Amino acid sequence: MPKADKTPKTPKTATSKPIKPTKTSELAEITKNVIEVRHLTKTYKNPKTKKPLKAVDDLSFDVKEGEILGLLGPNGSGKSTTINCLLSLLKFDKGTIKIFGETMSPSAYDLKRQIGVVFQEVAVFEELKVQDNIDFFCGLYIKDKTERKKCVDDAIKLVGLEDFRKFYPKQLSGGLLRRLNIACGIAHRPKLIFLDEPTVAVDPQSRQHILDNIETLRRKGTTVVYTTHYMEEVEQLCDRIIILDKGKIIASGTNEELKKLVKNKPVKQVAGPTLNDVFLELTGKELRD
Amino acid sequence: MFWHNFKYTLKVVLRDHALIFWTFAFPLILATFFFLAFSNITSSESLDIIDLAVVDNEAWKDDQIFRPALQELSNESSDDQLFNTKYVSRAEAEQLLESDEITAFLLLEEPAQDTQSPASPPVPTIFTSKSNIDSTIVQSVVESIAEQASIITTILHENPAALKDLAKAEKANIVDQSSSNLDYVMIEYYTLIAMICLYGGIIGMVAVNQLLADMSMSGRRIAISPARKSALVFAALCASYLIQLVAVAILFLFLIFVLHVDFGTHLPLIILLALIGSLAGLALGVLLAAAIKSTANTKVGLILAITMFGCFLAGMMGITMKYLVDTNLPLLNRLNPANLITDGLYSLYYYDTFDRYWGNIITLVIISLVMISISVYSLRKEQYDRL
Repeated sequence: MPKADKTPKTPKTATSKPIKPTKTSELAEITKNVIEVRHLTKTYKNPKTKKPLKAVDDLSFDVKEGEILGLLGPNGSGKSTTINCLLSLLKFDKGTIKIFGETMSPSAYDLKRQIGVVFQEVAVFEELKVQDNIDFFCGLYIKDKTERKKCVDDAIKLVGLEDFRKFYPKQLSGGLLRRLNIACGIAHRPKLIFLDEPTVAVDPQSRQHILDNIETLRRKGTTVVYTTHYMEEVEQLCDRIIILDKGKIIASGTNEELKKLVKNKPVKQVAGPTLNDVFLELTGKELRD
Repeated sequence: MFWHNFKYTLKVVLRDHALIFWTFAFPLILATFFFLAFSNITSSESLDIIDLAVVDNEAWKDDQIFRPALQELSNESSDDQLFNTKYVSRAEAEQLLESDEITAFLLLEEPAQDTQSPASPPVPTIFTSKSNIDSTIVQSVVESIAEQASIITTILHENPAALKDLAKAEKANIVDQSSSNLDYVMIEYYTLIAMICLYGGIIGMVAVNQLLADMSMSGRRIAISPARKSALVFAALCASYLIQLVAVAILFLFLIFVLHVDFGTHLPLIILLALIGSLAGLALGVLLAAAIKSTANTKVGLILAITMFGCFLAGMMGITMKYLVDTNLPLLNRLNPANLITDGLYSLYYYDTFDRYWGNIITLVIISLVMISISVYSLRKEQYDRL
């Protein structure tokens, strides 16, 4: 499979060797790559055949500071596995993962403090109200009460849940629940956010609201890793796109670079191939599990 | 961080309505069933006064042994009254027996005199129409009196001097040295207390399950946060323990003030053992939540099964099992939290010293700390093979 043009090389700095600061916050200011993944490999055992199944196969990629990276792929391509490995939730067989220049591990508490995640499934407590949910999860990152209250209020305002503070999750619609899910993941103002299909089963208005929120985060300089099956979202938001299939990167580049890869152009084409066309060209039209 | 997690764990657990029912309401329901089932056992064993008739014949009028004895046992002002005795003719006695107004009637007859044998006491005969406990009591009492009469008569004939010593013999009194509540129905309430303590492990399990990435999505969100697992587990355990303490307190208040169960003089020690037992139950729940990789329902089923099996080995379904295990596998019961709780409660009932009681308390504390330590260690830096 041909790959898109290589991503532009990082411009060299004045010094021949990069300076290694001692604090993570200093690292974040100097390094260009927020995430560096090298030769990541994760194997599962197929429950039916008992044979090893490579979910992620020798994956290497970088995520630059401040960019929104789209991570695409059909079902079973390894997106969620990659994200879970990046978050140190899953053990992996080989490879290295560095976030903000430091090796990621379950005990890398300073790194975790700067990461936020919006899972595909809603990850909130049914027993807590909207405000309590956001406050609880924010409290795992920010100990100071005053600062935390400000963060919670800002998060509620960002996602538009001001009128629903005292509601329980089961009283919310699907769109509102997704917004709560986002608020819980970003309230502590992380510098790096993973958004795993945040707009699944959401009406267009809520979806647009969510996309607008992500744009707001981008303007604040937050780095975002975004996975979705909706190509129009990727076209709207992402600076760069990686397409996975069977655990490997089959294409990476900007929106325009990937569109140049399309060989089988649709019969009716008004404005050129869409990203959806690119995706289907590269991954095929067969149904996946 | 601790108070933050403690507060929200309380909120989450207290909003689980099913859990609250099993924690607070179920023990009260079970206690009520126990009360209804066992409250009449002791009262049904107390002896009712037996209606008796005595044939008022010449032999009875001349008798110096049976007459005073039965009059004493028929004394209405005495606490030891056993009989309600009527003195009637033979015909009247038979009529009363036939009409079920009396349980039995006694007929004294002069024995056949043998010139070469000592004077024999009168021969009693009991007439009864039914074979039941009351008639058995009458028969036992009369036989006992007859036996004593025979002994006295023999002594009187062979060694009259010895009769003076017999008269001087003081009545042996049985003095109750135990300060415990001797009602054996208490054992059933001790069983209830032990079960409730251990079932509190379900609260601990639910609280810790919320922290696990493979058990819930909120657990996954917690797992990727910088909060240390040990701090989270400690806060969850404290919140769960507080809930369990309230449940145990409500149970005791219900038992004492509503069901009027008398725990005797060792109530503070019983409560202390219940508190330590609750800690052990919670620790067991936390350990199973942390160590077993399975669904929430499987874990709850497991803790119920382990608790019930532990209770079975501790003799809750029949004291014989406890003795079998204590004899053949003593170490098993020394490590069984259910046995440690019930054994501690039984020791307050049977022994005068508290060595065994404190030994069980200390063992429970050690076991609880070990289980909690293992749980925290297994959760530290936890990563999964799959989610």
